[in-house]
Amino acid sequence: MNAITETRAETRRKRGRGMAASWYGIARTATIDRAGAWAELDDGGTVKIVTGVTEIGEGILTVLAQVAAEETGTRPEDVTIGDNDTARSPEAAHAGATRQTYMIGNAVALASRQAREVLFEKIAEYWEVAAGELRAFDGEIWAEGSNLRMSVADAVAICKARGTVPVGSASFTANGTGLDPADGKGSPWQTYVFGTQVAEVEVDTWTGEVQVLGLWAAHDVGRAINPRGVEGQIEGGVVQGLGQALMEEYVTVDGHAATHGFAKYILPTALDVPQITCVIVEDEDPTSPLRAKGIGEPALVPTAPAIINAIYDAIGVRITTLPATPEKILAALRVQQP
Amino acid sequence: MPDMDLSCTVNGRPVARRVAAHARLLDLLRDDLNLTGTKEGCGAGECGTCSVFVDGKLVKSCLMPAGRAEGAVIETVEGLAGRGPLTPVQKAFHKTGASQCGYCIPGMVMAATACLRQNPEADLDEIKERMGGNICRCTGYTKILEAVEIARDVIAGRADASVLDADETLGESYIGHNVRRIDAPAKVTGRLRYAADMKLVDMLQMQVLRSPHPHARIVRIDTAEAEAMPGVECVITADDVPGKDGFGVFVHDQPVMARGKVRHVGEAVAAVAAEDLVTARRAVAAIKVEYELLPGLYDPEDALKPGAPVIHDYAPDNVVKHIPLRKGDIAAGFAAADVILEHEFGTQQVEHAYLEPEAGIAFVDHDDVVTVHSPSQNITHHRHMLAEILGLPINKVRMVMSPVGGGFGGKEDMIYQGMLAIAAMKTMRPVQLNFTREESLVASAKRHPSRVAYKMGLTSDGRITAVKFEMLSDGGAYGMSSEGVMRKAAILSCGPYEIENLQVDTRAVYTNNTPSGAFRTFGGMQAQFATESMMDMAAERLGLDPFEIRRINMYRAGSLTHTQHRLDRASLDQVLDAAEAASRWETGVPSVRGALRGDLGGPDTRRPCTLGARLAGGPATAAATEAAE
Repeated sequence: MNAITETRAETRRKRGRGMAASWYGIARTATIDRAGAWAELDDGGTVKIVTGVTEIGEGILTVLAQVAAEETGTRPEDVTIGDNDTARSPEAAHAGATRQTYMIGNAVALASRQAREVLFEKIAEYWEVAAGELRAFDGEIWAEGSNLRMSVADAVAICKARGTVPVGSASFTANGTGLDPADGKGSPWQTYVFGTQVAEVEVDTWTGEVQVLGLWAAHDVGRAINPRGVEGQIEGGVVQGLGQALMEEYVTVDGHAATHGFAKYILPTALDVPQITCVIVEDEDPTSPLRAKGIGEPALVPTAPAIINAIYDAIGVRITTLPATPEKILAALRVQQP
Repeated sequence: MPDMDLSCTVNGRPVARRVAAHARLLDLLRDDLNLTGTKEGCGAGECGTCSVFVDGKLVKSCLMPAGRAEGAVIETVEGLAGRGPLTPVQKAFHKTGASQCGYCIPGMVMAATACLRQNPEADLDEIKERMGGNICRCTGYTKILEAVEIARDVIAGRADASVLDADETLGESYIGHNVRRIDAPAKVTGRLRYAADMKLVDMLQMQVLRSPHPHARIVRIDTAEAEAMPGVECVITADDVPGKDGFGVFVHDQPVMARGKVRHVGEAVAAVAAEDLVTARRAVAAIKVEYELLPGLYDPEDALKPGAPVIHDYAPDNVVKHIPLRKGDIAAGFAAADVILEHEFGTQQVEHAYLEPEAGIAFVDHDDVVTVHSPSQNITHHRHMLAEILGLPINKVRMVMSPVGGGFGGKEDMIYQGMLAIAAMKTMRPVQLNFTREESLVASAKRHPSRVAYKMGLTSDGRITAVKFEMLSDGGAYGMSSEGVMRKAAILSCGPYEIENLQVDTRAVYTNNTPSGAFRTFGGMQAQFATESMMDMAAERLGLDPFEIRRINMYRAGSLTHTQHRLDRASLDQVLDAAEAASRWETGVPSVRGALRGDLGGPDTRRPCTLGARLAGGPATAAATEAAE
């Protein structure tokens, strides 16, 4: 590469970095949110959980299985989740508002805890120890400071033989208040999360194309129940934010869709994805029995402004209307360099 | 054209079927062979959910006529592992958490398998390019690519197969432990059945007649010809709604089917339930609707002008919702400012693009309970609304949430469950409706396009003294979630910063555009895009680092939010520190310093990609191309 072509290449592709911070509220807004769940410690040391909402991809079933296993002293694979049916399960309201782990996770934790307490009471009687001495984890139950130990499966059989089915039920509430209609005064949520992202971009000043090469995402999620699942939510949110920053646009002309299929509505593919570094910050939430908050929606809030700020850093063009398409970038560069 | 007799091999078994001339390979697999692991995401070869192998080559089965499969050897996702253990690719997807909603995953597994069969040594860039024809909306691809690299290393013999089953050691708690997703095996094998994959005995197929006009009065609907067609079991319009018509997340302004007038292109006007899809489509085409066109509104600013057409009688000013926040005294705040910045921002209308189009089944059970299976994000609220619409007690309506193939807020609106329930009650047979991608695009809500007029005052040391924030959003033809979206946009508007004086107004208005509704962040993204752009502009103006200006203004424990909520705690300082450290951020004023930065191109960034590099001869050629420029 000679000096002239090197200069041309440098002039053509320019890099920069930008950042953005964000905040978000957990669960339904400016209202009282609630979710119910039932739990049963079942034969064979298995667990039945019933709640009225299911997976939309975020990994809530796995989170609920972990929570129920933790609270009942069993294993996630021992948990069966009956869900999703208004006629067969208690109300858990909707799958949205970054509320699944916080609302339903906590309802399941409390219901499972209640079922375990029933079991502990009966086993404490059987062992003639105080219920407070009992512990259970990973399919085993034992009394602290003794050699009393058995499987949860045996414990459930003993509990039932003594006439009790170990069940629990719970409702979890988040107390938001409505907003004053005149000045908006109110406490819309009882817990908040915060996030910050940094984007590194390369702008091709000949084509206007922007590539996001690196993305660092630090998000407070409260206690992370399943860190890998949290990463999955952050990565997915970042790429949706990238799509909105750079390419996606549903266009109508006098009310008629001009982008009526995926050939016209452009979505990010594997080739558009930056290397993403997730940093999970765990500011444990005292309003949450699980100490967990959430991550579904907040993950994408800072992505677009971080990318747009990075484009400015690279080429001095301030994009104020999304998306930052190649056409828009080229048009702005032409104005900048007449 | 007559039906065709077809013989082929599917997943190692001989298959002989008579297929319709118009049938696609996808229809043969899903409808005739019940191999529903192969999904239909777009029907146009754009998304890859229907990927299968035909004679060893990866093919999008929605684009291939079934007749062309004569004599072919076909392999679907169900055939990869058969009844044996999962393949290395499937196991790797399970290990890394590569499946979320799972709807794209069978196609992704097929594409990954094809990639590694083609080149067991494929590097990451080649993997990305070979999988570039498959869209995933949930995962951001990162864990999918991680999985393919692990599977490659096992297949190529560079890693022991035991890595596929290895997990981190369990400590003293299942909380904080990376338990593998319990739903992943069903997703990587294609065994999970979404609503469109379900079949019930005696089930009818529904098709919907949609408005071709953005705003028009319905003069007359003539369904006689459609109703007389053999195989048509019922044709329904607004007249068939038995109870109180109207649904919506906040205001019940949307009829099950257009009542008296249509308000957007794609709005449901009538629906047919027939013995099969083709008959239902023909019947829909035979429905005659006479419209009287009305002037339309396509710009939210026009909607607020005096004399603008009125979209809903109950809202003569076209305003769906206005949310005001007032805190302190902005006049005093701006007077105290050393610098005042004023800018306008705009965000576009965005499609959720979940890979699973809307789908559902309704039937009336033996106890007269009207039951609807659909990927609804809010079965509780849908049950309430549907009971009113059907005029039934709550316990005679049962909503079951089928596996959701991506939602992101877009499946909170009850835009088709009412039609299904009414048709099931009229026919006393199960009825299924599966949207096409085109229908999904025009009939479902989008992210609100918004405009923000922003005025921010700051002292010379970077403290925000006042903000005036005014957002106007296009709510489209129906209210859906607009009220809540405006509320959340207002509450979050000025970002995580303590501002003593502010005046915030968010408004959504009715137009004749595709409705806007709930979409991941519910207005928070549109508002904070404006705020975070302003913060960087202010930092440049005042000579501050972007992190620094945010730290000067950030919420802390004890801060009073924009809605005057006293915060007990705030973790913004922690996430700012974490992002700054992780990204090795070089402190400085954001004044187009990209060329001077020393923090670019680290090991935690990827290389820029050059399309076609692999086809032109691999990375070496790509480098040469770069050098030649």
